[in-house]
Amino acid sequence: MRIKSCIAIGTLLTLSLTACGGSAPGGAAPASPDASGTIKIGSIHPLTGALAFDGQQMSKAIKLAAKAINDSGGIKSLGGAKLEILDADSQGKPEIGQSEAQRLTQAGAVALVGPYQSAVAAQVATVAERNKVPFVIDVASADDILKQGYTYTFRLQPSSDTLGRYGARYLKDLADRTGQQITKVAYLHEQTDYGSSTYESFTDEAAELGLQVGPRITYDALKAADLTTELTKVKAAGVDALAVTGYYRDGLLTAKAIASVQPGVKIVLGVSHGAFSSPVFPRDGGAAAEGVYDSNFNYDATKPESKAILDAFQAEYGEELRFIPFTSYECVRLVAAALEKAASRDPAKIREALAGISFDTLMAFDGPVQFDESGQNENATPIVLQVQDGKVVPVHPAAKAVAEPRPAAE
Amino acid sequence: MNHLISRAGLGILVAVAVVAGAWARSGSGSVTAQAVLTGLLLGGVYALVAMGLTLIFGVLDIVNFAHGAFMTLGMYATALLATGAGLNPYLSLLVSVPLLFGLGYAVQRHLVSRTMGGSLAAQLLLTLGIAMLLENALLLAFSGDTRTVAVSFDTPLRVLGAVADLSRVLAFAGAMGLAGAVWLLLTRTRLGTAIRAVAANPEGASLVGLDVRRLHALTFAAGTACAGAAGTLVTPLVTVEPTAGELFNIIGFVVVVLGGLGSVPGAVAGGLIVGLTEQLGGIYLPGQSPLLAVFAVFVLVLLWRPQGLFGRPA
Amino acid sequence: MIRRLVVLAAIGVALAPLPLLLPPAQEAVAVRALMFAMMAVAWNLMSGFGGLFSFGHAAYFGLGAYTTALLTVELGLSPWLGLLAGMAVAALFGVVTGYLAVRYRLKGAYFALATFAFAEMLRLAALNSELVGGAVGLTLPVTGEQGWWTLRFDVGDPAYFWVALLLTLACVATVIVLLGSRAGLNLVAVREDETAAAAAGVAVVRHQILAIGVSAALTSVAGGFYAVYYLFVSPDLAFGPSVSIQAILPAVIGGVGTVWGPLIGAAVLAPLSDVAATVVRTPPEFLSFLQGRSGLDVIMYAVLLIVVVLAMPRGLYGGFARRSR
Repeated sequence: MRIKSCIAIGTLLTLSLTACGGSAPGGAAPASPDASGTIKIGSIHPLTGALAFDGQQMSKAIKLAAKAINDSGGIKSLGGAKLEILDADSQGKPEIGQSEAQRLTQAGAVALVGPYQSAVAAQVATVAERNKVPFVIDVASADDILKQGYTYTFRLQPSSDTLGRYGARYLKDLADRTGQQITKVAYLHEQTDYGSSTYESFTDEAAELGLQVGPRITYDALKAADLTTELTKVKAAGVDALAVTGYYRDGLLTAKAIASVQPGVKIVLGVSHGAFSSPVFPRDGGAAAEGVYDSNFNYDATKPESKAILDAFQAEYGEELRFIPFTSYECVRLVAAALEKAASRDPAKIREALAGISFDTLMAFDGPVQFDESGQNENATPIVLQVQDGKVVPVHPAAKAVAEPRPAAE
Repeated sequence: MNHLISRAGLGILVAVAVVAGAWARSGSGSVTAQAVLTGLLLGGVYALVAMGLTLIFGVLDIVNFAHGAFMTLGMYATALLATGAGLNPYLSLLVSVPLLFGLGYAVQRHLVSRTMGGSLAAQLLLTLGIAMLLENALLLAFSGDTRTVAVSFDTPLRVLGAVADLSRVLAFAGAMGLAGAVWLLLTRTRLGTAIRAVAANPEGASLVGLDVRRLHALTFAAGTACAGAAGTLVTPLVTVEPTAGELFNIIGFVVVVLGGLGSVPGAVAGGLIVGLTEQLGGIYLPGQSPLLAVFAVFVLVLLWRPQGLFGRPA
Repeated sequence: MIRRLVVLAAIGVALAPLPLLLPPAQEAVAVRALMFAMMAVAWNLMSGFGGLFSFGHAAYFGLGAYTTALLTVELGLSPWLGLLAGMAVAALFGVVTGYLAVRYRLKGAYFALATFAFAEMLRLAALNSELVGGAVGLTLPVTGEQGWWTLRFDVGDPAYFWVALLLTLACVATVIVLLGSRAGLNLVAVREDETAAAAAGVAVVRHQILAIGVSAALTSVAGGFYAVYYLFVSPDLAFGPSVSIQAILPAVIGGVGTVWGPLIGAAVLAPLSDVAATVVRTPPEFLSFLQGRSGLDVIMYAVLLIVVVLAMPRGLYGGFARRSR
């Protein structure tokens, strides 16, 4: 019995020694904003877990953006001060996102960028508001996030409301342009706020356009392993079109299920989907990816600066920069512009600068980034892209298009 | 015998009624057929998972909460072999089964055996601790990123308006095959008889000269090997991540209780029933998680007939 | 009993100045330790002293969390009222499900599995119910009147710690009083030998239901406080299996069936998670492969659990208490 107790105590001691070996415990005094030295920006994304595919690239894009700004002289109005990115893993969980945001704020971050999931964004927004640190959402579409009356949260991408409505409008446009009759639309979406709020605004607009939306099929994006049953329901309903909202991994599952089940719909339209306009989707999604549309925000492929960023990313990391991480890159440029304008490290002043800013962006939007009172970028709009011959190309509206929309082969 | 036949007859009647009800509720033959097909195929795998669990409980009287974690280990072994060595997932059975057998043997011999005969809480907590350790060791080593393993020759097969991927059918076939093998082992070999003797009467078994400790370890090992095999078979169907086995763990317990703790045929019947309940439950309660129906049935069985379908009354 | 209450008061007085001495990051750890303590003390009442091993305490925790959250979000009520309402809801749920389990003579593993199933059913129901926000959960309002009535304070305000301390002391006091009473003695008698107790005239079922109901109510208080502190509840955070495990671990490691064991267990476990997070973020030389990885904290818990179960079945406190006699 004594030997066992000794083993037990020995284990405990070893564990605590290991802990002591680590440097700077989390109990360090809260860092006040550095009067000199680097300007810290917090980055919160899912670096592990089901959404790590895009999360990791978003983190890399943010670091590259900071590097580019530092290399061209840093924040000039603050004497050339350099940006430092504090990276955090949300693990895809709201409570981790919350505690990490808290930790980054206490470590001295003057702004936060993230988090790719609407569920996590809501919690980081709470932390931002309570600690009075501006939070710029790169990707997270749910409308509710900005309806809490918070003043410290801003969003670059379009809201779910905008995305849903445009999705319905664009579906009608596509039907007209390709000469197909579309009256009934099934909607498949992931079950959190992201999918639900997009569905709701899509349905509202669709009703006004005379489209019938149903059945509504939801699934758990983080846990689903197979969507065959869901697609079978679509097939059984005999609809003309299928609208889908989801993330990358489940987007692949959707494509796989469409290939197996062959629901026989005329148009498959992603509405702010995380996979369908990604350049790697045609490769990963296989034959089923061909012809799939996505109504989504994207970068402006016609501008030479966009190409320069893509090339720089390819050179640094050896992979192609996708549109979602591109948005994260833009957010760092936005925060840097706000820092220039504010000429201060005070988070409250940075917030004010953001609130009144007019920022020329490389995103394919209808004008410069300008935030309304709730923090939403007013000029953010989506465009329609389609997978044609293994490549994702913009097809609608005509002004931003590179090719014509192609109806699915019968 | 008559008892069993009448029980089976009643079961089939209930099944037909439930499927007919689902057809009426969903208004579509193909959706119902899809639910039945997916339910049966999935149920086969559940049966294999439960079989290992019920063996362990029947012989060692231990509730093994680490069962799902062992299954996850099998999945990872398969996934790593597939991506690292390009090995066909089904061939990795040759690796995962012995690996999990050996691991199970070691775990029982050195850890679990110390709590046998002790309090229930100690056993539960020990296997719970082992489960947490295994899962998080995987998380630490391989991170939470998900992996998928695809079978190169995977094609959809169509049956009565429903569709099933070949990999899913193979998982079912493999599970049923292994179940049959375990059944034969238990009933037709000396080792199997010895194991059943220990389950029936541990003192008597040691009195006639059986090495009870070794048999305990072997049975535990066989149980975890079943879990490992199930893990390999489902790898092409699920996303592999450290918590992938958790769901199968819970369902394993539901099946075992349903079929009767310690009964191998019960595990098979229970597995199929749970698979069907899950899929058909999705039709009866649209918009609700299909697991809700499973747990409702579970609670009802616990309260009304805790010994399960094939178990003896307490 | 009086002696224990005095010790409890002393502990309360000793801990009160803690938030003023600790930096904010550590204060959060202290608050979490108190939450663990509440849950473990409540679990210990039912499973340690009552002998009814529960694997589904998340059910009560979650009911407390959601009730408080709902009443605050929908009706703007004070969280104190939410806590009371939560206690009532959880106690009712505990009594009903406990009665079903006990009446149908579920024992040991079956009982544990039944409690687990109940918690899971609540989780699934919450997941699919728009009323409580479904998968998205509920977010409590951040802006609004601050103070002790609304339990809303600035981040890192010591008031959070003091509220948690108050609630924890109340929970432990309730358990101490209950154990010192006639009912408490009867409960332990039932745990030791049900038949003998029944033969001696003890109403077995009634005492078991009492233990379950009180345990449920106390656990729900922890849940309600969680909602107030983190301002966010979701089905997984409220009803998930990890919550049930969090209620069990401190009690087992500290010492099941003792009054102080769960408190010691909570004090040991709460900092571990933080320690693990720090090690993973800035590991010492010989552990550099751990950089940026997750799962270390649970591994520590698991190792501790296994070691305690095998080597110190009476737990850290229970083992010493024995020796000192």
